[in-house]
Amino acid sequence: MSNDKEWKRKLLRDMVVIRTFEETADKLTLRGKVAGGMHNSSGQEAVAVGTMSALDPKDVIATTHRSHHHTLAKGMDPKLVMAELFAKATGCSKGRGASMHLADVDNGNFGGNGIVGAGVGIAMGAAMGIKQLGHKKVSVGFVGDGGMNTGRTWEAINMAVVNKLPFICLVDNNQYAVETFIDRVTGGRDIAKRGAGFGLPSFTIDGQDVLKVNRYVKEARDRALAGEGPTLINALTYRYYGHNVGEKGQYRTQEEIADWRDNRDPIDRFSAQLISEGLLSQDEYVALHAEVTAQINAAVEFAEQSPYPDLSTIYEDVDSGLLGAKS
Amino acid sequence: MEEVFVPAVGMAMDNAVLLEWQKQPGDQVNAGDVIAIIETDKTTMDLTCETSGTLGRHRYAPNDEVPAGNTITVVLGAGESE
Ligand SMILES: Cc1ncc(C[n+]2csc(CCOP(=O)(O)OP(=O)(O)O)c2C)c(N)n1
Ligand SMILES: [Mg+2]
Repeated sequence: MSNDKEWKRKLLRDMVVIRTFEETADKLTLRGKVAGGMHNSSGQEAVAVGTMSALDPKDVIATTHRSHHHTLAKGMDPKLVMAELFAKATGCSKGRGASMHLADVDNGNFGGNGIVGAGVGIAMGAAMGIKQLGHKKVSVGFVGDGGMNTGRTWEAINMAVVNKLPFICLVDNNQYAVETFIDRVTGGRDIAKRGAGFGLPSFTIDGQDVLKVNRYVKEARDRALAGEGPTLINALTYRYYGHNVGEKGQYRTQEEIADWRDNRDPIDRFSAQLISEGLLSQDEYVALHAEVTAQINAAVEFAEQSPYPDLSTIYEDVDSGLLGAKS
Repeated sequence: MEEVFVPAVGMAMDNAVLLEWQKQPGDQVNAGDVIAIIETDKTTMDLTCETSGTLGRHRYAPNDEVPAGNTITVVLGAGESE
């Protein structure tokens, strides 16, 4: 029971870390501190934390252009994420990648990328490798609702199905692709039905409910490890800010945003649940926010103080070294 | 005190040009008021304030180039000074 308490409190904390990180990084981006801008994931915390909490640390993920929440939930130190956003040498990708290329291959994070739908293919390839090598782990490919309308996504899903790969397609469905509402561009309007047509168990779930996401991913993982192949999970969620930082879109109403924020916020919902279950006191919740704020402020300080990569290292990590590209 | 600044929007963090001031130092301003109009490489943009108070000094003049992220003025709350 006390394990359950600690586990749930960790889920809450992980979500608060993401929210605090994103709100902080958003402001710094507007101030010109973040090279190349960023895509804010505020509102989508439960999808990331629900998924990662169902995985083993050695499981693989590959993600998208909107990946801070996945990366932090997978366990990366906020300092390494913030330093990467600042394009500093101490960042997780040595300042070469910035916001869209956060990766930590040793810990199963095969990274984000700027090509919509590509994370699904990368994760499917990883699942193929896992199967070939006979490893006991799974691979999760994150994709947005927009990415579910690209060909590469379904090509990868099909390969996962026919090869019974230990793979999960996790749709981080915030219902918009830049300014386009999902229903306007999604034939049939039902992503889970499409998945069923491709022959894999497919579910549409409440992505603002961290425990529900956790349960569906756990079951998908169990099926994958039992050799039963991939699963598609379409987690309905919402992003609170623009597509990218600084965007002031006119494509959705303030009422719609307020409805999601005020009535379905994943952190508010889960903190209220823990408080009503007696697993967390109001004071502890206030203290948790203060601790996380201090942690994120320390990450900003770390990023500010860190050096940019030295020009002499420009040829490093361009290839495996075989081409002798090092200067 | 609120800093009114030129936001870095889009992928490239270019300079903006301050086109004109809409409020003067010492003016009472309300949240949402347009303080200045700037021009980026793509568009002209209203810079608004988020709080109410008294406007501080102008840190740039019309036609000045302002690096993205830089503060152009502040909104002072009761009893605050620059
Ligand atoms: C192949 C490709 N096409 C178009 C783009 C431009 N683009 C970047 S993000 C985006 C929208 C993606 O929407 P979604 O998959 O729902 O992810 P979200 O931004 O909502 O997280 C588009 C069209 C791209 N990066 N790659
Ligand atoms: Mg989307």
